[in-house]
This record gives sequence, C-alpha cells and structure tokens, in this order.
Amino acid sequence: MARFRVGTWIVLYLLALLMQVALLPQIFPNGYAPNAVLSVTVLIALYETPRRGMWAGLVGGLMQDLWAGRLIGLNALTFALLGYTIALVQQRIVRDPIFVPGLLAALSQVVVTPFQWLLLYVFGYHFPWLVFSRPLPVWILFSMLFTPALGGILGFRTRIHRRTRYRSVSPPW
Amino acid sequence: MGGFLYRWRRLLITVLVVMVVTVSLSLTARIRGTVIGLSNIINTVVSPAESSMAFLGKETGTAISSVGDLFTLQQQNQELKRKLLEYNSMKLELAEVLAENGQLRGMVGLKKNLGSWHLQPAIIIARNPDSWFNTAVIDQGSRSGVQTGMAVIVPQGVVGRVVAVTPNTATVMLILDPKSGVGAVDVRSQSTGVVLGQDPVTGLLEFQLFSHKPDVLPGDVVATSGLSEYYPKGLLVGQVLSVSKNQFGLTETAIIKPSVDFNRLQTVMVVESHPSGTSIPPIFGGGQS
Repeated sequence: MARFRVGTWIVLYLLALLMQVALLPQIFPNGYAPNAVLSVTVLIALYETPRRGMWAGLVGGLMQDLWAGRLIGLNALTFALLGYTIALVQQRIVRDPIFVPGLLAALSQVVVTPFQWLLLYVFGYHFPWLVFSRPLPVWILFSMLFTPALGGILGFRTRIHRRTRYRSVSPPW
Repeated sequence: MGGFLYRWRRLLITVLVVMVVTVSLSLTARIRGTVIGLSNIINTVVSPAESSMAFLGKETGTAISSVGDLFTLQQQNQELKRKLLEYNSMKLELAEVLAENGQLRGMVGLKKNLGSWHLQPAIIIARNPDSWFNTAVIDQGSRSGVQTGMAVIVPQGVVGRVVAVTPNTATVMLILDPKSGVGAVDVRSQSTGVVLGQDPVTGLLEFQLFSHKPDVLPGDVVATSGLSEYYPKGLLVGQVLSVSKNQFGLTETAIIKPSVDFNRLQTVMVVESHPSGTSIPPIFGGGQS
C-alpha cells in the first residue's frame, strides 16, 4: 500500500488550515466556516493503517489546535480518534473514489460535532447544543462534496487501481 | 363556306374579340354602377382568398426580411450581451468601491473625530480555524506599535481587543468570543454590567447587569463603560434586543445585537493610545440617550 510521508501530511494540513482561516470565512457566515482538516484526515486515513491514520489525525488536529491558540488537544484528540476509526473501517469496506470518501466524511462530521461539543462542555465552554449544531447541515454538505473533490485533485485512486497499475495481464491458463 | 371560315378563323376570332371588347367597353362606360356592384360581389366572394394571399405574402416578406435581419440581430445580440456583462461587472465593481469608500470614509471620520487618539488601521487577514472561538488575525503587529490589550474598533463600534502580538501580526479576540468580557453601560438608564460573548453562530451578546433593578429596555443603546481595563469609555457595543430575569430573579440579563457586522469585517482600527478620562464623541455611542 502506497503511503504518504509525514511531510506530505503536514503540507496537506497546512493548505487545509490556510483555506480554513483565510478563504472559507470569506464565503461562509461567521460560525459556519467548515472544517477542511476533517476532510484531509478522512482522505489520509482512507489509505493508511489504523496506527498511521491515528498519527495523521493527531498531527492535523494538533496543527489546528496550535493555530487556533485555544484548548490545545481538542482537535488533536478528536482527529486522532477519527483517523484511527476511518483507517479501521476502510480495511473492511469496498471503496470507490467518490461515494465512500463523501459518505465517510459526512458521517465523521456527524460524529465529530457532538464529540467536540461534549469536550468543550467538560472544559467550561457551555454552548447550547441547538445553537452549536445549527451549522451542522452546512458542514455535512461541505464535507460530502469537498472530500471526494480534494481526493480527485490529489489523484487518489481506489485500492484495486493502485494494485493493478504495473501488473502485466496474463491469461489464467 | 366551311372552308372559308376555317381558312380565315384566326382573323375572324380576333375581329370578334375586338368587337366584344369594344361593345363591353362602350356598355360598361355607361352602366358603371352595375359593374362596380358586380365587382363588389366578386370581391366579396374572393375576399377570404385575397386576405389569405395577402397575409401569406406579408408573412413571406416579413420572413425573408427577418432572415436578413437575423444576422444583424445576432451581431447586435452578441454586442448587447457583451455590454451587459461589462455593465454588470462595472456595477459589481462600483458596489465594491462604494462599500470600501464608505468604510474608509468612516475610518477617516473616526480618526478626525478622535483627533487626540492614536489609531492604527489594520486589515483582517485570517479568522480562527475553530468555529466556536472568535479571534481574528490583523496585518499589524508590534512593529506598528500594536500591543496586547489594545482595543480594536470600527466606526460602527467596538470589535474586540488584542490578545497576542507578533512583529507583523496581532490576534484580536472579538467581543463575540465566549471568553470575551466588556465592561458596558446602558446609555439611557446608566445601568452597568458586563457584555459577554455568547456564541459565534447566533452572533448575539449577553449583557449581565450588576444592579438588582437595572431598568434596561429593548432598543436601548449599550456602550463601553470605561470600567474595563481594555476598552475606553463610550464605544458603541450594540442595541438591547430582549431582557430576562436570571434563574432566581435576582439579576437581569439582556441580549444584545452587536452594532458591528462581524461577517463583513475587513478593516479595523487599533486604539494605540487615547487621553485618559476622555470619551468618544456621542456619535459613537458615548453619552447618547
């Protein structure tokens, strides 16, 4: 399995964070800017082992935490768990380059939002759940569309495509 | 006899026709009304056919001329589309320039009104990557004299305060942030309290009042009280939307709509220094009732 190097992870996360702080707030209203780091974590974890998926999530989350300068560990923990889970799930499912990344990213968003709300609540940020989850449909839609699109831009292929790339086709007899 | 007629038949027919026509002409010259009547009858009978033919002819003519016009119209259409596109982009540009102009005029006005204040203009270059924390990064840092704790304002009111500084940038905690607190006063009733960031999604603020019977009403203007360590007195914070009693009915809390539109925030002013004890002129909220 072709894996990304840690340097590539960092570059991808840097680009995602740049987009998240400078570009997306220009498009989405205040508080509605979606999380591009989540999409990158899902994409990386789709092609990694659970352990490496977890490390990737940890790196991405930590970068976001350091960038935000608040509650360091909130995103690191969330995305490490997410990376691990996605990498674990991807070994057991049939994948395609569009539908599965989109679906997994949307599901991740559905799980990550209440998890982070709970973490924030524990650490003293008491946001009303109804207000906190209001942008969720926007984030789900964004993840569903953005993740496969990013995968396409980065040249992600299905496992079968990658395995048969250089294999010569010989008759079975 | 038969041979004679046959031999001269063409001449005879011609003479006959001429005679008939002559007789007809002489007769019709005298009985004109009857002829016209006859003509009218014929016209009435054939008029539908005539109309149809006329219609067909007209339509054919129009169609032919339309085919000719089609090429001209196509060219004109393309030209008009191009012009429309040009005008639309010009309109957009104009709107953008007007908005920017309004913002800059506001800034200039603010600077003029606050003559003794030292303000540093800055542009917001990034927002916080987490949606539930409201901080923004501006393009001016310690090299421009920006320091931690300085208030950040726009002509519409207070934006926040500087919480971190690098040589070229500074991080501003917006008043919407859940950890933000601004000492504020209800301008009409002079009731004091603290304005807290509620959540970034609704974009509203919570005004926790200190006094037991504060007399704050919806529509009241709230400005900074000057009791806060960071914000000078008299900066406009927002307008009261609703007032409610707290759990045990001892204190009141008001919900405030900020005067600043945080979705459109681009250029801000960092208050680097201001004469102590002075407040902003009434136009910016100070002393307004």
